[in-house]
Amino acid sequence: MKILSHTGNPQSAIRNPKYYAWIGWIFALIALLLGVVVLSLAVGAVDIPLRKAFFLLTKGQGTPEYAILFEVRLPRILLGFAVGGGLAISGVILQGMFRNPLVEPYTLGISGGAALGVCLNIVVGGADVLGPLATPVCGFVGAAGVIFLVYAISARRGGIRLSRLLLIGVMVSFMASSLIMLVMAVTKTEDLHGIIFWIMGSLEEPNPFLIKAVLIISLIGMLLSFIYAVDLNTLSLGEEEASYLGVEVERVKRAIFIIASLLTGCCVAVSGVIGFVGLVVPHLMRLLVGGDHRVLLVASYISGAAFLILCDTVARVVIAPMELPVGVITGLVGGGLFIFALSRKSYTF
Amino acid sequence: MGGSKDTLRVLFTVAFFFVSFSHALSFPLKAKGDLERSLEIVHPPQRIVSLVPAVTEELYLLGVGDKIVGVTIYCQRPPEARAKEKVGTVIDVNIEKIIELRPDLVIASPLTDHKQIRKLRRLELRVEIFDAPTDFQGLCEGFLTLSQFVGKEQEAEEVLERTKRKLKAIKKEIEGIAKSLVFVQIGANPLFTADRASFINDLIKCAGGINIASDAKIGIYSREEVIKRNPDTILIVTMGIVGEREKEVWLKYESISAVKNGRIFTVDSYRVCSPTPISFVETVKELARLFHDRH
Amino acid sequence: MITVEDFSCGYRKGIVLKDISFEVKTGEFVGLIGPNGSGKTTFIRAISGLLPPRKGFILLDEKAVGGMGRKELATKVAVVTQSQEATPPFSVEEFVLLGRVPHWGRFQLLETKRDVQMAEKVMALTGISWLRGRRMGELSGGERQLANLARALVQEPDLLLLDEPTAHLDIGHQVQIMHLLKKLNEEGLTIVAVLHDLNLASLYCKRLVLLHKGRLRKVGQPQEVLTEKIINEVYETSIIVREAPGMSLPLVFPVG
Repeated sequence: MKILSHTGNPQSAIRNPKYYAWIGWIFALIALLLGVVVLSLAVGAVDIPLRKAFFLLTKGQGTPEYAILFEVRLPRILLGFAVGGGLAISGVILQGMFRNPLVEPYTLGISGGAALGVCLNIVVGGADVLGPLATPVCGFVGAAGVIFLVYAISARRGGIRLSRLLLIGVMVSFMASSLIMLVMAVTKTEDLHGIIFWIMGSLEEPNPFLIKAVLIISLIGMLLSFIYAVDLNTLSLGEEEASYLGVEVERVKRAIFIIASLLTGCCVAVSGVIGFVGLVVPHLMRLLVGGDHRVLLVASYISGAAFLILCDTVARVVIAPMELPVGVITGLVGGGLFIFALSRKSYTF
Repeated sequence: MGGSKDTLRVLFTVAFFFVSFSHALSFPLKAKGDLERSLEIVHPPQRIVSLVPAVTEELYLLGVGDKIVGVTIYCQRPPEARAKEKVGTVIDVNIEKIIELRPDLVIASPLTDHKQIRKLRRLELRVEIFDAPTDFQGLCEGFLTLSQFVGKEQEAEEVLERTKRKLKAIKKEIEGIAKSLVFVQIGANPLFTADRASFINDLIKCAGGINIASDAKIGIYSREEVIKRNPDTILIVTMGIVGEREKEVWLKYESISAVKNGRIFTVDSYRVCSPTPISFVETVKELARLFHDRH
Repeated sequence: MITVEDFSCGYRKGIVLKDISFEVKTGEFVGLIGPNGSGKTTFIRAISGLLPPRKGFILLDEKAVGGMGRKELATKVAVVTQSQEATPPFSVEEFVLLGRVPHWGRFQLLETKRDVQMAEKVMALTGISWLRGRRMGELSGGERQLANLARALVQEPDLLLLDEPTAHLDIGHQVQIMHLLKKLNEEGLTIVAVLHDLNLASLYCKRLVLLHKGRLRKVGQPQEVLTEKIINEVYETSIIVREAPGMSLPLVFPVG
């Protein structure tokens, strides 16, 4: 079009100041994350002065303090990082795709499926066959089963209808929780507490291999979803608009649905059902850094990690030597924080 | 029990309804395979963390209370146990605390979070799990194993000798008296009872009663079934005021003989669910009185 | 530019457009008119490749629309839709810049200098430069429509499709938008616009396409299409047609 080549003032705006703001936010959030990590290392039922940590690191091996810092607290922090980040970006992706502020990683029945898998495993005694890996494996199988079911039912020749997907997900979720109740009602009492423990969610995971696996999967999920950041931006205009902007909407929807689901499935399989991170962190970050997924995804990952580690720290110390379920804290802190933020700033989803 | 502990208990009871009532405050011991293996250790353990209230009590009975370095907040008996360092509850322990105490033996129950047990073992601590016994026999066996563990077999056998004698005396007393049909209620909504595999079943048997739910496979029990089976005595195992409220509920069903004769009793759950051989016999004695006392 | 040949299409429930054939030449400004439910929006969707044909085909520059990828289409065709379902969580400038996405590589994440310059120009052209920092949710209907237009233009399309660009706008904004479209058309942009307002269609479009119940009723210059007979029949109402003062263009008036 000729008109565009000679009208307007082509004054250069090469360096977009927006990018500086983004980088600023990311660094601020990383600093926050580091602060939370240090705090989480420093506090606990047992007092260990932090300055001792460096000493312990070099020649403290074998002492109880070393074990507490690096074999009890550190693995929890790592798992909190992976799960918090993973759930937060799943939330961002799904909310962006559904354009629905109430969607969170568990809405589609992923947690219900995982919980059902774990329940059945505990009742059937799968642990005898698979050993300590039984719980995460069954959780993941349950989650994957539900994802497949929900997807298969809602996918049609013309592509996925999102409202359909959402409704079917919610229904499957309800059915799963009914089945869990059924299983629990006929379970031996000895097995019940295993189920309840798992459903409440916890970052305690004795197996370092699992922690590493979730960490790697979570980071890969982050990178993969980043590839779709621009597509998610266009999707926030609506599906039709997005396809006019050159996005293969159905393919993108399928891809990000699978990424978010598998990511959530992995997190849930290892840590149990930790609610609220995937719902509230994306909203808080939208308030803070805006709706552009290119920054929103990174910011949500970092702050989701920081948020969960912080909540876990609080859950550990608040009634020490006992521990609150971390979900109690994520719900209270997250909900409070969000209402506070919402009351101070206008927010359109 | 202090106020904060009560709050906590309320908090946990909600989530752990079934667990903390039915199976409750857990148990005396019955040895598992791996326990026997570990008996080869020559030196008796010097720093013990007990995550089972009954074990704590039994350790004191065996005279090794001073070797205990950590207990749960539910370990209230004997009173000396309250002064010990608290490392958590029966179901949820604080790993940091335990590590800090440098124990050479941790005694856990099947109720302890499996992940936490695995974590402790990974940190090269010796953790022994004690299953809940289902009868007096198992209780005694477990007690004996524990005693071998801490090198106090002699003491254990003396204790068991005494208790068995007492038990025999009680049995003699109630011989010939008609057996009482008993329904045990553990908590309400849903109505939960002691099934065949439960410890309480044996308790009732020893006290000359017949548990009407002894053929039940799981604990959830229908009120209609209770009415149909018409127990002579209803025992409500409870903590606090729940018992009185439940008693009133039963009073509506006048066809039940226990209601007609005013034989509804509340029993402290701590006594019933967390026995040592000694407290077992005491409880049997008390129950025998409740079952057969014709006023 | 566009060749529609014996084209039928529809949704799951049934066929909406039937046996349509016509052609749009490069540089034309075609107005698509017809009663509600006559298939205008569907036609826009079909041209932009969202609806596969049941019969016939649509060619864009001699290539079948259905065979082109979305990306390729998006660099040639820009669409301004009628309903904006969501309020995008962006500023006006960010919103306009989204129009550059079709020109990006698969792994491109940041705007290039050229993208930003392009957005500058288009915002200046549509007169919304002063709104660039505003959130989309804070715009008035007219401003929002200008932003939509800017986002479509920044795609550098050869063909611009608009679905009722003046709906819900006041007369000032209606004229502003139509003027802008006319200017763009004179600069060489091919435009196909669904227009509700027959008078605006008459005043600005070189050629009108009248759809009725999914079929082509009449194609031609405004004088040929906007006759009392045709309009009364298609819209099932009674209107009168008068000539615009100083122009030989028909205007439509309801008879009260």
